[in-house]
Amino acid sequence: MAQFLIRRALQGMLVILGVTLVVFVATRMVGDPVQMMLPLSASAEQRAAFSQQLGLDQPLGTQFLAFVGDLLRFDFGDSLWQRRPAIEIVLTKLPRTLELIAAGFGFAVILGVPLGALAAMRPDGLWDRIIVSLSLIGLSVPQFWLGLILVMVFAVGLGLFPTSGSGSLSHLVLPALTLGIPSMARIMMLTRSSVIAELNQQYVRTARARGLPFAHILFGHAMRNALVPVLTLAGWEVISAWAGYTVVVETVFAWPGLGMTAMGAINHSDMFLLQAIVFVVALGIVLVSLLLDLLYKLIDPRIDLA
Amino acid sequence: MKPEHMIRAALLGAVLAAAQPAFAADIAIAIGSEPSTLDPQQRDDGDERAVTDNIYETLLARAPDGTLEPGLAAAMPEQIDPLTWEFKLRDGVSFHNGEPFDADAVVASVARIIDPDYASEQMAYLSTIAGAEKVDDLTVRIMTGDPDPVLPARMYWMKMVPATYSADPAFAESPAGTGPYRIAAWNRGESIALEANPDYWGGAPEIDGVTYRFIAEGGSRVAGLMAGELDLVRNLYPEFLGAVPNSTAVPGLETSVIVLSTENPVVSDPKVREAMNIAIDREALAQALFAGRAQPAKGQLVNPKSFGFNPEIRAYDYDPDRARALVEEAGATGQTVTLVGEAGRWLKDRELIEAVGAYWAEAGLTVDIHIEEFGEYLNQLFDKDHRPDAIFVVNSDELLDADRPLTAAMEYGASYASNADEEMAAQIRAARAETDVEARKALYGEITMKGYEQSYLVPLLNQEDIYAMSDRLSWTPRIDAKLLVKEMSVSE
Repeated sequence: MAQFLIRRALQGMLVILGVTLVVFVATRMVGDPVQMMLPLSASAEQRAAFSQQLGLDQPLGTQFLAFVGDLLRFDFGDSLWQRRPAIEIVLTKLPRTLELIAAGFGFAVILGVPLGALAAMRPDGLWDRIIVSLSLIGLSVPQFWLGLILVMVFAVGLGLFPTSGSGSLSHLVLPALTLGIPSMARIMMLTRSSVIAELNQQYVRTARARGLPFAHILFGHAMRNALVPVLTLAGWEVISAWAGYTVVVETVFAWPGLGMTAMGAINHSDMFLLQAIVFVVALGIVLVSLLLDLLYKLIDPRIDLA
Repeated sequence: MKPEHMIRAALLGAVLAAAQPAFAADIAIAIGSEPSTLDPQQRDDGDERAVTDNIYETLLARAPDGTLEPGLAAAMPEQIDPLTWEFKLRDGVSFHNGEPFDADAVVASVARIIDPDYASEQMAYLSTIAGAEKVDDLTVRIMTGDPDPVLPARMYWMKMVPATYSADPAFAESPAGTGPYRIAAWNRGESIALEANPDYWGGAPEIDGVTYRFIAEGGSRVAGLMAGELDLVRNLYPEFLGAVPNSTAVPGLETSVIVLSTENPVVSDPKVREAMNIAIDREALAQALFAGRAQPAKGQLVNPKSFGFNPEIRAYDYDPDRARALVEEAGATGQTVTLVGEAGRWLKDRELIEAVGAYWAEAGLTVDIHIEEFGEYLNQLFDKDHRPDAIFVVNSDELLDADRPLTAAMEYGASYASNADEEMAAQIRAARAETDVEARKALYGEITMKGYEQSYLVPLLNQEDIYAMSDRLSWTPRIDAKLLVKEMSVSE
């Protein structure tokens, strides 16, 4: 176990380092922040002077060494765009994105798993058909469109929630739904097929023949096995939301999270801020995958982590 | 009243009560992104200006139609020698934190913004300024490095900050200006609230408070307006004109243009360049893409409201037959022209670029359109060695003066000009330093006329700024696109 943790931590550090370096090179190759920041009609001389003031006229190699040196001391530098420490910006935006993911994803799991199991009880029954149809709708609608429709119906039409913004629980409802509905649909579908497969297993038939109550069979045995693939999917949902899928929802609902900040950093060619965002996101992904591995072990003790 | 009507009315009432701010004379305005600072001298950012234009003031201001007039200065400045301008200051004005507005504040404001260590993005507007000195408490002189006739317009740009407090790190978060509104609260990520300054030297404004919300997506802004959460939204997409409660438009600062290279094959022929101008039906573009909220540009990049606009030049005629004939005469039929642009930075940019490409194709050219990612687009826009045959750009004439647009688009070597006309470059430089108003105007007359005759540019449209408003807000938008809350009122 300890060996496993150490190995994964080392792997994780390599991933994070690799990703940040790629971002450094990519941001320097794609856009010149000075061109982005000054008005277009600024003269070549004005741009050169500004570049010098920001220290961006140094050779790329020199800048790269300085960057790596700072990174080793966990200093991400100041955001070019906002002129304050990049990591500070990331840390103020981070909780807002986590809040959104927790709400959207919590909703997806709390509804998706039981509904999927309910559908699996009687495949092709009434509940199954309703649930499968609903999840197909949830899977097919584009997220930005779903968000705008929710706004038109529940905010503009019925006035139940604010159209956008943040700061209260009622602000959270529509963005969380928009983020959660496609995830819920996927989780529901997978739980359904996974539970159906388990219920057809030999051990379930044996348990039924022995006269065990169905609820005990379902929750005590079948669900536990069926949840392993669901957990994999759930982990993927969290990671993909975390790695940038929230940006659509954040844009539609003017939610001040990390996704919007990343967009701003890209639009300003702000490599220092982007660097800090990517670092924190990569760290999060490494941690979530580690957590998932540990959860597998908890659900199914047969899984060997070493 | 039938019961269901009563219920509906009650529900409506509840919704309105929930959506409207507590005080009737508070309004909400949407801006596209959260300002990174409220220090008004640091960045060049329109969303930040939407807020700080109400907190801070400048020595000179503009009337809604664009005319320069005294602001914090008591009168228009006097030029006492080619490099020095003298400003008399308004008496009895103070900053929100109690510091007096006087010559010391002006000297400190100037010194602060031109300090290289401060690295202000606004130096692109102010780089001629060399310093300031106090004459007496209410008289100050501003010096330029070279003779600078645009200095008054620059002083309409430079916001005045308090001499002492502006050095405090807290200044960026908790600003103090001389303006009609002062900061009430800044909820990071959510909103900025300003409240009326009861001691404003120009008299307390009518609207008690204003809240700025940060909404990047155009559709979400319109939804906020329809739900009664917002009173004013700018940069409305023309498609939404029918959906919003109220809207208004005003000729804006932006002009779309295509810069043609005079050095590349095919476009080096003036006949081809003229054909590229008259092949375009600008009126149709304005109607189809902008719902009529744009005007064909008058054959030049200079804004019709700017100093140096040449009223002698008319918009290029739309004459597709002659365009085809000219291309044929030049032996360019079927030749390839590259048109470079971007998408998403300016309203309808991609649509405009593609439509222009189609008009050129009709005139007989083969048009190769490259829509680039914005960073790559900027690299090509500023690349001195490889000029694209044609590159799309939108110029915003913030100072309402011909110098910046002409320098950027037509002065060889200065920014993104694609000609190699040394003579014109010398004229533009001369006009920049010409302090005699009439002589300067005459120079711009010559420059714009030559640019027109030589078709160095394909000026497209003078765009209008479109605003959507709630029914209760009354406001007349300004030519300089400033959102001055003191000029607004609500009816209730």
